[in-house]
Amino acid sequence: MTRPSNTRSGEKDPLRRLVEKCFQREAGLSVPIPDENTNLIENGILDSMGWVSFLRAVESASGGAEFGSSLSERSASFASVLEALRNRGSNATDVSHFEAGPNASKTVAPAILTGSSAAVGSRIVPSEEVDRAFGMPAGKLRNRAGIESLAYVAQAENELTLAAKAAQEALRAAACGAQQLDWIVTSSETHHDYPSLSAQLHSRLLVRENCGALDVGGACLGLLNAFVFAQSLIGSGRAQTVAVVTADVHSRTLIPGRVAGEFGGLFGDGASAFVLRSAAGNDSSEGYRLGEFLFGCAGQYAAAIQVSDSKDGGLTVQFDGEALSRAAITRLEKVLASVELRSGIPRGSVGAFATHQPNPRLVVLLAKQCGVSPSTFPPVAQVSGNLGSSTCGAALHQALRSASKQGRHDRRPIFLASLGPGLLFGGGWLTPHV
Amino acid sequence: MTKLLITEITRMGPAFCVIGLQHEQEKIQSIRPVPAFTNGWKHFPHQRGDILECALAPFPGAKPHVEDRVSTRGFEKSSTLREAETVTFLRKAEMAQSLPDLFDCPVHENKKGSGLFAMPNEAKRSICGCETQNLRLELCANELRATLALPSGEALRDLPVVDRDWRDFIEASLSPVRGANRAARLDRFLNSQFHYKIMSCPHHFIRLGLTRPFHDLCWLMLDTLFPLPRAEWLEEF
Repeated sequence: MTRPSNTRSGEKDPLRRLVEKCFQREAGLSVPIPDENTNLIENGILDSMGWVSFLRAVESASGGAEFGSSLSERSASFASVLEALRNRGSNATDVSHFEAGPNASKTVAPAILTGSSAAVGSRIVPSEEVDRAFGMPAGKLRNRAGIESLAYVAQAENELTLAAKAAQEALRAAACGAQQLDWIVTSSETHHDYPSLSAQLHSRLLVRENCGALDVGGACLGLLNAFVFAQSLIGSGRAQTVAVVTADVHSRTLIPGRVAGEFGGLFGDGASAFVLRSAAGNDSSEGYRLGEFLFGCAGQYAAAIQVSDSKDGGLTVQFDGEALSRAAITRLEKVLASVELRSGIPRGSVGAFATHQPNPRLVVLLAKQCGVSPSTFPPVAQVSGNLGSSTCGAALHQALRSASKQGRHDRRPIFLASLGPGLLFGGGWLTPHV
Repeated sequence: MTKLLITEITRMGPAFCVIGLQHEQEKIQSIRPVPAFTNGWKHFPHQRGDILECALAPFPGAKPHVEDRVSTRGFEKSSTLREAETVTFLRKAEMAQSLPDLFDCPVHENKKGSGLFAMPNEAKRSICGCETQNLRLELCANELRATLALPSGEALRDLPVVDRDWRDFIEASLSPVRGANRAARLDRFLNSQFHYKIMSCPHHFIRLGLTRPFHDLCWLMLDTLFPLPRAEWLEEF
């Protein structure tokens, strides 16, 4: 019924390895890997809930959809799962990179992240001052959320100034002239004006007139949404160089009297910027290469956070902090587990986790849940607050800056994971481009 | 004697679980008649909408299955309500608009994979009705699963469908006598006609239930989906 673990015939088969890992996640490490033809349900190894859960994990890890329907009228066995995976002929079965390593080449032109930067509001405010402003007991944000200070914009700063500052720094770091940009892709959860942020940034950076400009949504997930779009542009050959920029100024929207301090007090102001270039025609071996991305929406948490305009010009905020915290930890851990499975990169060998940081306490909890050191999560929310779509970007910039101080061959992969209201989720990975 | 309007007949392994509505003191509440020594009925020849006369005794059932009552004698059918009338009564019983209101407790996501569960000591009941903004059935590797959107906008995925009539319908649709490509044909039906038939039905309604504690967790499942399937639908695909 079961195969001894030291005689794994499938050790070189990446699909089999993926299926086995998903099985172990569901059944536990103590359950031996069953024989390929063993019916997992009939033999009581998994119940029907566990079987579907296992299939969903395979579906997520392999990046495919409608996987379960292809297994109708088939036995609940590894053999059926493997056969269905092999027969699918979609990108989901393109798991060759599991075997060849994360740097295995693909047919599309890879996108290389060649420059990064981050900027925060120039006013650094101790969290106790924010407590007081929101009418909360002094020390609440520090003790409950782990926030020491918040970065707020000064009077002359806004989304555009922060975005422009970060973008210019990123272009400089990448040794890239603004006129080389083919696209600017921006994301902001606080800029709702027209011209849009990407249009304003287009003018501010003085890029070519025929450089495209696009704003993508997703709130705190915005950076990952922007990355995957930029990657697609480069992969399809429609662009050679793309700037991805995020900018968020919460301190003018989530203000005392408009929202509760337990919510509004968590947020700071910041921006991040990245220059992505096609590996084709780019001889430099500097930078990080974008891996794959995975996305989804866990709608069962849709009510945990909802923000809408009210008729009187105010904001209606529905914020169930406890439910949202639970959801954030569970989902981010799931996303990171899926990224680990899909990339074939063990979490222990990851150099940094550039994730969304709802608050610093949750980052520590997430690190514990994932079994990795909290020091692998660059501290953003602790000193600047939750920067919305720029949190993940600021963390990624810090991770890249740390990596740049290491020898080229000592640099390690970086995992990305973020969440947005909905509950939108996404993840991905970067590997050193050597 | 108690009059019980049968609203749920669900499959639980080889047995059936039955729930009905009882009208008591201006209140309509769900009652789960159970045999003296087990949780399910090996044989239950009645249909939803049947009004059965029965004798029920209070039963110190473990939370959250507070609706359990021991049936001390057989069921006697007195009359039958139409499907739409049955749903009218269901709408007057336990109802919720959002996930935490379903069982009056937090509902958790399975950290390892799919499915949602409640903690037995937190849930205040084990059955609840709700309207849905959208609903989809899917055959996932021979297991019937439902995905639905609550009025609150919350989406619930991969709920096991235990409704006896819907399970019978799916099994009948996959019967070998129905020819080739049965799974693909069913898939097409579930993705097209099914959706229209269900969502356009004025008495479209669902009831969600909690399993008995399994490894200390009670999993959410789709107990009942109205309208019930009709045999003639099998001719459509």
